[in-house]
Amino acid sequence: MAIGFIAGVFMIVQFFVPHAVATQGYELLLDWARIIGAFALVLGIGSLFRTHWDKIRRRRSGYGYNAVTLLSFGLMVWAGILYGTGEGSIGQRLTEVQDGATFEWLFNNVQVPLDATMFALLAFFIASAAYRTFRARNIEATLLLVTAVIVMLGRVPIGEMIYDRMPDVYEWIMQYPAVAGKRGILFGVALGSIATSLRIILGIERSHLGG
Amino acid sequence: MRPLFTAGWLVLLLATLCALAAAQGHFPAPTQVAIADDAEDDEGTKAIVTWKAPPVADIGAYMLGGYEVHLQQLGGSYLGRIAFSTTSPAKDFELVALVPDGNTTQATVGNIVPWRRYLVEVNAVYVPADEGPRVAEDDRLRWTNRDVSRSRATVSAAPVRPTGKPYNNKRTNVLVWVLGYSTIVLLTIYLARRRDSYIRPIAGLEAVNDAIGRATEMGQPILYVAGLSGISDIATIAAMLILGHLAKRTAAYETPILVPCQDPIVMTAEREIVREAYLEAGKPQNYEPENIFFVTDSQFGYVAAVDGIMLREKPAANFYMGYFFAEALILAETGSASGAIQIAGTDADTQLPFFITACDYTLMGEELYAASAYLSRNPLLVAQLKGQDIGKIVIIAMLLLGAAAATIGAIHGDWEFLKSFVNWFDVHH
Repeated sequence: MAIGFIAGVFMIVQFFVPHAVATQGYELLLDWARIIGAFALVLGIGSLFRTHWDKIRRRRSGYGYNAVTLLSFGLMVWAGILYGTGEGSIGQRLTEVQDGATFEWLFNNVQVPLDATMFALLAFFIASAAYRTFRARNIEATLLLVTAVIVMLGRVPIGEMIYDRMPDVYEWIMQYPAVAGKRGILFGVALGSIATSLRIILGIERSHLGG
Repeated sequence: MRPLFTAGWLVLLLATLCALAAAQGHFPAPTQVAIADDAEDDEGTKAIVTWKAPPVADIGAYMLGGYEVHLQQLGGSYLGRIAFSTTSPAKDFELVALVPDGNTTQATVGNIVPWRRYLVEVNAVYVPADEGPRVAEDDRLRWTNRDVSRSRATVSAAPVRPTGKPYNNKRTNVLVWVLGYSTIVLLTIYLARRRDSYIRPIAGLEAVNDAIGRATEMGQPILYVAGLSGISDIATIAAMLILGHLAKRTAAYETPILVPCQDPIVMTAEREIVREAYLEAGKPQNYEPENIFFVTDSQFGYVAAVDGIMLREKPAANFYMGYFFAEALILAETGSASGAIQIAGTDADTQLPFFITACDYTLMGEELYAASAYLSRNPLLVAQLKGQDIGKIVIIAMLLLGAAAATIGAIHGDWEFLKSFVNWFDVHH
């Protein structure tokens, strides 16, 4: 708790002190955080292994997927360590394979398409959520429905065909009421985050430390 | 013969040295070299070097191409007027800047260590007039002319000791607000010791007990997602605080809680939080560390894994607390399809609409930060919420005042005090 207090007060003070000593102290703390993060990754990988290996060992339902996870993990580690991800790797010294080609190929042809697939699901989920939400149940819902229709039409050419100033109406909605609402939420978030930070720095709240 | 031969070489060497000396003296040097602290630099790591150009710019076939600036760090180290080390020796002059323009008589040098003393020397550089000054593209401290002649260097009369500024006065408005708001919050916490505070009901938090009860009756676990941001994000810490309160209740009801993590540091902290919760509930034997596990730090890999958990384990209640990105709707829609009761809380304004649409209850913005106080009913924490509300009142008052000042200031352009009032709220980085 004392460490949290000292570090928290230092970071607050550092924001107002432009001197190089304060800046260097700030960067030192950031470096420490990165180093701790790197070591914490070892714990995370250990957890990953234990979780999946336990399911494989107990032959839990769908343990084949756990095996695929561990095999994929091993494959990327092998490609990365042995063949490297850039110049000067061990792979360059051990083999004639072009540096980083294997790792990059696996990343570009497996990871990226899978990420894109999951992202693409958003389009369908948005349509499904919009279908459920935009119903004129009460005044607020009707207002939401009308605004949503105007915003959607303002973004497509057919909106301008229906009413030539539709894009202007859309712009006005996005620049004024939407921004006003967003800023109102952000004010509350800022106040809440300052108050929470104060509670943690001063030790009033200690649940995050496990106490 | 031999003495004559040696004497001839000596004369030739002497003549060459004299010619070189004459050549250097032939190219005039800059004068009035001075080094001073850069007033614009708050860190104390820059200094400004000035000099006066030589009286003659063109010497035969050569023209004044520019200047070379060399910096020397003097020995010792000073804190104010107290020397706490005088034993460190002075370093040699080092080329730090190259000015490829004979008309420029000023240069800024950086990478200076505050509180150390520095001397500077500047020499003029003459290049063939038909070439003009040329500097290498990959090394801005190297001339690429076929012939470069240098004058002797002129050293600054006095050293400089950049100190930097201890305070950034452009952020005074931020300091005033932080101190003022902090005082309000701490005052409300102090006054809470004397009386209880009222807190309005928040539907999402009122439903927490119902959600846990539902999961217990159905014999299904609870899923808790603490966001996709790291532990440095205050929203993640707020989510971990909520997890602590939630874990105490699930421990009491002996309902399993699954916490897939996207960050290993967050995972480590959450394991401790849940373990302590089970200890406090008096059921340490029910604590299973495998229920709080690391998945992946890849955004959509994590989402795919959590979706899989929802569809396989079929938790009865899903909690999404923390900061979310584009994956929020994927999580919420999949959870909705699995039939779980869903309670979300985020300060990500871009994801709030998705959570409101797909979840049964949503904590918006500051309600996420109020949740810990709400669930614990700790008098100090609840009173601090009053401080937040007072802060909101102050902001509303400032908004109204600022809008009025800006409007009246636009009408009466000569009322400078209104413009100053509005400009005082600008934040400078």
